[in-house]
Amino acid sequence: MSGIDDEPFPEEGFDDAGFDGELLEEELRQAAAALDPVPAELRQLALGAYALHDLDADIAELTFDSLVDALPVRGVPDAPRMLTFRAGALTVDIEVTGEGLIGQVLPPGPARVEVLGGPRAARPVTVDTLGRFTSDTPPGGPFALRLRAGGQVVVTEWLRA
Amino acid sequence: MRSGTLTSTAYDDVPYTRGGAVDRTEVGALVRSAVDGDAAAWKALVEGLSPLVWSVVRAHRLSDADAHEVYQTVWFRFAQHLHRLREPDKAGSWLASTARNECLKVLKGLTRLTLTDDPQVLDRASEERTPEQTLIDSEEEAAQAERIRRLWQEFEALGERCRQLLRVLMASPPPSYLEVSAALGIAVGSIGPLRQRCLRRLRARMDAREAA
Repeated sequence: MSGIDDEPFPEEGFDDAGFDGELLEEELRQAAAALDPVPAELRQLALGAYALHDLDADIAELTFDSLVDALPVRGVPDAPRMLTFRAGALTVDIEVTGEGLIGQVLPPGPARVEVLGGPRAARPVTVDTLGRFTSDTPPGGPFALRLRAGGQVVVTEWLRA
Repeated sequence: MRSGTLTSTAYDDVPYTRGGAVDRTEVGALVRSAVDGDAAAWKALVEGLSPLVWSVVRAHRLSDADAHEVYQTVWFRFAQHLHRLREPDKAGSWLASTARNECLKVLKGLTRLTLTDDPQVLDRASEERTPEQTLIDSEEEAAQAERIRRLWQEFEALGERCRQLLRVLMASPPPSYLEVSAALGIAVGSIGPLRQRCLRRLRARMDAREAA
C-alpha cells in the first residue's frame, strides 16, 4: 500500500512503520464519547453504589454457579440457576427460577435473610427454623443476600441472576 | 517517571502500559481513601473508570438491558470488595476482568436458551443520539460530526476481534494494556500488534469509503 507517488500526506501514509494509530484511536475515543457514552443514569447508580461498601459484613464468595460449573441439562431450557456462596463455616445455597428464589442456610438453623436489589432496596424473606427460605419475587437485576446467622453478618457477592 | 503527550501522567514505567488523563498510580490511593470513607475518592474512581467498564460491556455486544445490569453488578461488587482488593493500584484491571466475566456469563446464559440477534448497537450511529444534536453550531462541526458517524459505522463493520479490541481501547481515559488484557482475556504482549493491525484496517476502510 505504500509507495504511491502522489500520496498527499506522506507522513501519514500506509507503510507499516509510519502509520500513526494514535490519531485514529483518539478519533474513535471522540466517537465513543459522542455516540456511545456511559448512560447518565448508570453513572449515577455507580456513584450511589458507594453505600454498599460495608466494613461490618463478611463477604460470602460465590463458590458454585451452575451457569459456569455445570453442564447444561438437555431438554430443560429453563433450568434453575444454582448458586452456592460461602463465608467461613457458613454456606448458602440458592436456586433462582422464573418464579423467585429458594434457599438454604447451612449449617441448618435460624437466620434472618434479606434480598438486596441495590443500595436502597432490601426485602426481608421468611426463614424457617432450619434456615430454609423462599421468595416469590425473582430478582429483577443485580441482587445479593444479607444474612444474619449464628452472630455473623454476611452479604453474598453481588450477582446478576 | 516519564511523561508523554498526555498531561499529569506518572504511570507505570513498563513500556506496554499506557495511562490517560487519570493518573493510574492515583487509583490505589483513591481506593484506600474510599475505604476510609472519602466519598469524593469514590466519585473520582467512578469518573475515571466507568468509561472503561462501559467499554468492556459494549465490546461484548450485550443487549441494552443486559449491558445495564452487568455494569451495575460490576460497580456493586466493586463497592463490596473495595477494602479487600489485593492490589488497589490495579482496580482498573479488577473492574475490567469482573465486567468480562459477567458478560461471558450473560452470553452463556443466552446460548443456553436461544440465540438472540441484537442489532441495537449497530443502529446506534444512525439513531436518536446523533452527534448533530450537540454539534450543530457550525458547518465545520457538522462535518466533523458526520466524519465521526462514518468512522463509527466503519468501526462497527470491522471483524469481531478488532471491533472488540478497539471498543475497549477507546475508553476515556485510555486504558492500560494490563486493563485491556483483563477486559478481553488476551496476552498483554499481543495487544500492541493487534491494535496496530486493527487501526490500519479501519483506516483502510475509511479511505476506501472516501474514495468511493
